Amino acid sequence: MTLSTLMPVFALMTSLLASVIIFALPENSHWLRTVINLTAAGLKMALVGVMIWGVAQGREYEIAFTMIPGVEFVLRADALSMLFAGLSALLWLLTTIYAVGYLEDSPNRSRFFGFFSLCVASTMGIALAGNLFTFFLFYEMLTLSTYPLVVHRGTEKALRAGRNYAIYTLTGGAVLLLAIAWLHGLAGDLRFQEGGHFAGVDPSLHTPLIIIFVLLITGLGVKAALVPLHGWLPQAMVAPAPVSALLHAVAVVKAGAFGIVRVVFEVYGLEAANDLGLLTGLGMVAAFTIIYGSTRALYQVDLKRLLAFSTVSQVSYIVLGVCLFGSVGVAGGLVHLVHQGIMKITLFFCAGNYAETLGVHRIDELDGAGKRMPGTSVAFTLGAFGMIGAPPLAGFITKWTMGTGALAAGMDWVVVVLVISSLLNAAYFLPILHRLWFAEQQQCWPLERRWGQLETSAWLFLPPLITAVLIVLVGLLANMPFSPLSWAELIVAREVAL
Amino acid sequence: MTAASTPLLLMAVSLPLISVLLAMRSGWRGAYRYCLPVLPLPALIAALLTEPGCWFELPWLLNGGQWGMDELRRAFLVLTSMLWFAAGMFAIGYLKDKNLRRFCVFWALTLAGNLGLVISQDVASFYSFFALMTFAGYGLVVHEGTDEANRAGRVYLAMAVVGEMAILSGLLMAVQKAGSGLLADLPAAIADADRRWLIMLLLLSGFGVKAGLPLLHFWLPLAHPVAPTPASAVLSGTMIKAGLLGWLVTLPIGEVSLPTWGNTLVIFGVLGALGGAVLGIRQHHPKVVLAYSSISQMGLMTLIVGAALASADYAVPLFAVLALYVLHDGLAKGSLFLSTAMALPTGRSGQWLMWLLIALPGLSLAGLPFTSGAATKLAMKELLKPGNFEFAMAAYLPALMSIGAVATMLLVWRFLWVQGVTARTGSNPAFLWLGWGLATAASLILFWLMPWHDAMPQKAWGTAMVHEGWSLFWPILVATLVAVPLLWSVKQR
Repeated sequence: MTLSTLMPVFALMTSLLASVIIFALPENSHWLRTVINLTAAGLKMALVGVMIWGVAQGREYEIAFTMIPGVEFVLRADALSMLFAGLSALLWLLTTIYAVGYLEDSPNRSRFFGFFSLCVASTMGIALAGNLFTFFLFYEMLTLSTYPLVVHRGTEKALRAGRNYAIYTLTGGAVLLLAIAWLHGLAGDLRFQEGGHFAGVDPSLHTPLIIIFVLLITGLGVKAALVPLHGWLPQAMVAPAPVSALLHAVAVVKAGAFGIVRVVFEVYGLEAANDLGLLTGLGMVAAFTIIYGSTRALYQVDLKRLLAFSTVSQVSYIVLGVCLFGSVGVAGGLVHLVHQGIMKITLFFCAGNYAETLGVHRIDELDGAGKRMPGTSVAFTLGAFGMIGAPPLAGFITKWTMGTGALAAGMDWVVVVLVISSLLNAAYFLPILHRLWFAEQQQCWPLERRWGQLETSAWLFLPPLITAVLIVLVGLLANMPFSPLSWAELIVAREVAL
Repeated sequence: MTAASTPLLLMAVSLPLISVLLAMRSGWRGAYRYCLPVLPLPALIAALLTEPGCWFELPWLLNGGQWGMDELRRAFLVLTSMLWFAAGMFAIGYLKDKNLRRFCVFWALTLAGNLGLVISQDVASFYSFFALMTFAGYGLVVHEGTDEANRAGRVYLAMAVVGEMAILSGLLMAVQKAGSGLLADLPAAIADADRRWLIMLLLLSGFGVKAGLPLLHFWLPLAHPVAPTPASAVLSGTMIKAGLLGWLVTLPIGEVSLPTWGNTLVIFGVLGALGGAVLGIRQHHPKVVLAYSSISQMGLMTLIVGAALASADYAVPLFAVLALYVLHDGLAKGSLFLSTAMALPTGRSGQWLMWLLIALPGLSLAGLPFTSGAATKLAMKELLKPGNFEFAMAAYLPALMSIGAVATMLLVWRFLWVQGVTARTGSNPAFLWLGWGLATAASLILFWLMPWHDAMPQKAWGTAMVHEGWSLFWPILVATLVAVPLLWSVKQR
């Protein structure tokens, strides 16, 4: 066992261990828990950082052993894993900081942070999984560890949302397992492999492969909230703000989207998936989801619910990008994995701040909030403009890359989808921004709390500011090495030789 | 001075952006107010004192940035920085304390966008700054917070967002075809593109929203008047010119002759020039009259763009004329807008002098000899001779220009009339005098001092203004002969 084989294990263990220790801690040892949380998050950042550096140099980190004959457990760090692992390590740190402030004085914090760490461990496992089986293990672990977070408040509404979430995701998991088992019977234990396994496959296998693909996408599409499998997501927004942030930006929906990327790139292979005619179908579903999610978002009055429908729409950018048969467009989809994460987490942090500081949950109560909470509102504004795709922010880089890629691939209709989606995004985000900055405050804030000099608690204030700065930086500096865009291009260069 | 231009251009954009930090403490807003005229100074120095032709790369920026200043961009930069300078000065005296900090932030952001788009030579920077200007400009439009302002803001924003999307799609297609992110490579690529018509349609209409192209202009007479006066001045003086710049740097002008596009654009230009005048004459508020006058003037500029699109050979001199026109109209319009907030002196002779100074930029619009308007008119006339062009509308150009001049003067009369009705007497804060004085002086003097492009017809300058005096003067006379009895009869009723 060399260090390079153990790196992925370490990355996984940091949050797993943290989770175990936190479960064991008594409820009232607030500071110890916070220290453990932040140390683990910082450590994981460092580990992932080292691996990113190594992968960029062409190093491989892999560990594998046989579970039962024919089924391997594989952890592997490649360029694609690092995209997701890097995102989750960074956002975990910020979300932990945020959650500490958010849950101040609320009950059951041990339980919360225990499952919180477990959830991040699962995300890390999903990122590092080297074959479908390992992926599935962590995928289900994610479902189980997020359920307690969704129902954390224990209200009837939360329990109902949690039940719904469990039904959706467990069913999705069952479908996924069926597909994986079938594929295993058909082709054996398939490791994720650059270029996929099915290039130039025997025509007799076409039909089962197509059906398996549909099943795989259905299983993964539940978490990725592809329409019509998205029903759980808007309900799950009853969860506490840091959970929503994690759910929407890193953990659950991203796990689904990431799984789809893995299946298309490294199980089927982009070329094979295209030859089987699968990309067009998937692209259509993604395009429909993009438009549908944005349209539903238009009609929401609750801020978090609006953001939830916005997620439905935005995550499908990733899926749509993957379906663009060409290196530029694919990079656009991949980079959105990171971009959507930092933009959406900013928006959820801000929504949480409005709720915690002012008691504001509905959009029409936000009038004049920019004056009371300028820092949070600047962050929200940047997040919203990023979602609209206004340059030079993160969302613009996605849209621009996907747009040029789509045109290069001759898929002009994608540009139309992007434009309609941007218009819809503008239609539901810009009125909120108007309320924040230009409307006069009509009545008292529903439930205002004060924290001394800052507009809100420092724990709540800093994370959205940091992510907002990131939204600007990843857009503005997209051409720098190690920017998400450069990394996505590196992945494409290595994995999808087109 | 070329060595200095790179840091100056970098500062031109970064200074307004960094100034936003002044908004962090509400106690600093007083200081921020006094910073407003300072923000465009690096750009102004760069535009006036350094040679055009410099450029530099910012490889880490977006998809790889390139900024710089050429002949055309210099004219835009002079106008933009000069007018923002004067308007910023004006704003110090004009602004009330309510929401001052917010106004200053949006002012600085809009300014950064406006300056940045002028000096951007790559598509991503250009589009970023264009969007920044558009969205931050919303904050200026709705600043007063009245229902009217909010309504105008909604229309402004809705049309702007649709325009942005048209621009984005057009640029995407052009960049994809060009295989390069530099603006300079787009015109040739668009000229060769299979779907040239679609790209051109998207870019013409997208930038046309900003430029107030007829049928895409609805936001303009709503938004320009409701903004605080210094903001109206920059909206009408420089920001709508950004749409024109967008056309000039992307459309395949000078690459191919496109008579059909040229004819269409000339017709749209005429529609804007005359339609703007007809609608403007019926308005009762000086700022609304000026907004329609802007549509009308943009119509004449659209006409020149049409001519350049129709005949590739004349693109270079027509660009030179457009640069002059942009500077002329922007500064004159800025001065006129600022004058609407000025109180008249109580003394009779003071009032006369004031009216003269208010009227002069207006007369310049109509082409009074020895003004920038006259130079523009003469240069246009020299170039747009029917013999020079072969497209269908070419034969009507001289007549259309004369009609345009009459229409312009009628609008100026209407403006002076409603201005006279609404003007109050009293004293003005010193910064109002300073800001308005700067804009007026710049409008009357600056064009004499600029080193204009060699392609500019020599007959536009100096003695030609005497020789051509009559041809310049008769439209003013005709308009006056029509306007005076008309106004008289209205007054009698």
